[in-house]
Amino acid sequence: MTSTTITAEATITADRLSKSYGGEPVVQDVCFECRPGTITGFLGPNGAGKSTTLRMITGLTRPDRGASTVAGRPFVDLPNPVRVVGTLLDPTAMHNGRTGRTTLRIAARMAGVPDESVDKALFRVGLSSGAGDKRVGNYSLGMRQRLGIAQALLGDPHTLILDEPANGLDPEGIAWMRRLLRDFADRGGTVLLSSHLLHEVQATVDQLVVIAQGAVVASGPMSELLATEAVVVRSPDREALARLLSAAGASFSLNPDGMFTVDISVAGIDRERIARLALDNQVLVTELRQADSTGLEDLFFSLTGQGAAA
Amino acid sequence: MSGAQTMTRPAPTRASTAPDAPIPFGRLLRVEWGKGTDTRASRWLIALTALATVAIMLAPLLAKHSVDQTYDSYLQFSALGLTILLPIVSIMTLTSEWTQRTVLATFTQEPRRARVVSAKVVASGVLALLAVVFGAVVTAAALAIAAAAGRDLGADLDAPNVIGYVLFILANILMGVAIGALLHNTAASIVLFFVVPGVFAVLGAVVKGVGRWVDPSTTFNWMLEGHWSGHGAQLLVSAALWVVLPLALGIVRTMRREIK
Repeated sequence: MTSTTITAEATITADRLSKSYGGEPVVQDVCFECRPGTITGFLGPNGAGKSTTLRMITGLTRPDRGASTVAGRPFVDLPNPVRVVGTLLDPTAMHNGRTGRTTLRIAARMAGVPDESVDKALFRVGLSSGAGDKRVGNYSLGMRQRLGIAQALLGDPHTLILDEPANGLDPEGIAWMRRLLRDFADRGGTVLLSSHLLHEVQATVDQLVVIAQGAVVASGPMSELLATEAVVVRSPDREALARLLSAAGASFSLNPDGMFTVDISVAGIDRERIARLALDNQVLVTELRQADSTGLEDLFFSLTGQGAAA
Repeated sequence: MSGAQTMTRPAPTRASTAPDAPIPFGRLLRVEWGKGTDTRASRWLIALTALATVAIMLAPLLAKHSVDQTYDSYLQFSALGLTILLPIVSIMTLTSEWTQRTVLATFTQEPRRARVVSAKVVASGVLALLAVVFGAVVTAAALAIAAAAGRDLGADLDAPNVIGYVLFILANILMGVAIGALLHNTAASIVLFFVVPGVFAVLGAVVKGVGRWVDPSTTFNWMLEGHWSGHGAQLLVSAALWVVLPLALGIVRTMRREIK
């Protein structure tokens, strides 16, 4: 990070990236930007076009239309990409006959960093020196992910592009990855990572780009996208509560379990107002909180066909 | 000792690797040399090549009546020993990245793919030259044994023989490189490399006229035997067909191919 000037300029841009295979559009007009200090989650169900988009950004796949840049220029024009952007696109794409250490040594030589950085990188991703001497063919998927992260970090880049980095990691590994990426972003780095699981990235990312069937269907700051539009409220006296809510002009529904879901996008209705109404009218409320299910979750579940969690 | 080393080491890497400095070709070459020779398969093949070259020298040493007892004859045997298996190493230098899918990492490290292929070609050339030297040493040792056994050896080595020996090894290795660069597949490349001469041998009579232009086993052997006169054009045609053309097409294919 030492020699890198951090500005608010986007370090990764995708501008109307499009790609078809055999007449079948796989990615259509995908646009987004990633800025320093942020972790962007590129979220979508399997087959949505995430990997194809990331391959177009990293110059491995030529887009039919559109353009992308990393650090201000097309990836393929970066003189020495590993010094600018670390990539982990497929942890299974490693030579099975080489040891983890040899794999990193090759990357270190390519990046022009000293061989000593290999041991540091192994340590940083939690691979013991014994694991480093094992052939990659004997690695679990989680170990390959760690090795891939080590390889991506070797050139001391200010940007990371990671395709499904949490795949194969156990919960402890996911927590470790989360800390590592957060730390990377907090020091001014830019992270773009893809995932097909909302809950996996929910605690990690601060920006989201949701893609489905090749097109961006939602994007923006995580806090906005996850902002709930409803509160739930419960009372032993359902009729009294219903009367109160109706009188206040709230739009609400009563769930089979006796819980009211109240739409707070209606002007003048929010959690505090409901609490006040209940207090003023002496209606006992036993539960009052934000709804678990959010618009984004509903959207995402409808995309993945897993059914709404509501 | 180690202190002295760190002292003399001129502020290494960092200064020379500003993000805006392209990867120097020498570094690509070192990396590709390492990748080409650090796998189990390539180490075995190199070891077996060395063994085969030593073993094949037993032919002129043991069959002293049926094999010409000359410097040139011994040198030709070592060239044949070297080129049995070594071309597979150069094929794999080009193909194993595709079969193991390490191209994904390699071409994100250096997106100018033609430079990577060039580094692999040069690394294979270095391998060929090391083979040339090794073959010369083995030949010298065998000749020394023959001389010690009191044989009368024809010291017939002249420039065409020596140049032919060097170019024969280089041509075989580069043909492997070129086929690997084009096919991106180890098995297919090995089959093509070794089947081509066999096909011409089988079709022999029918295509002899054509074979004199396009069969590398015929034309490269002229080179090895120092039969240059009258074959220049044929040698150039077969080298163009089996080295230059597949390599050029292979670079184009590599630059265009989508990496998954």
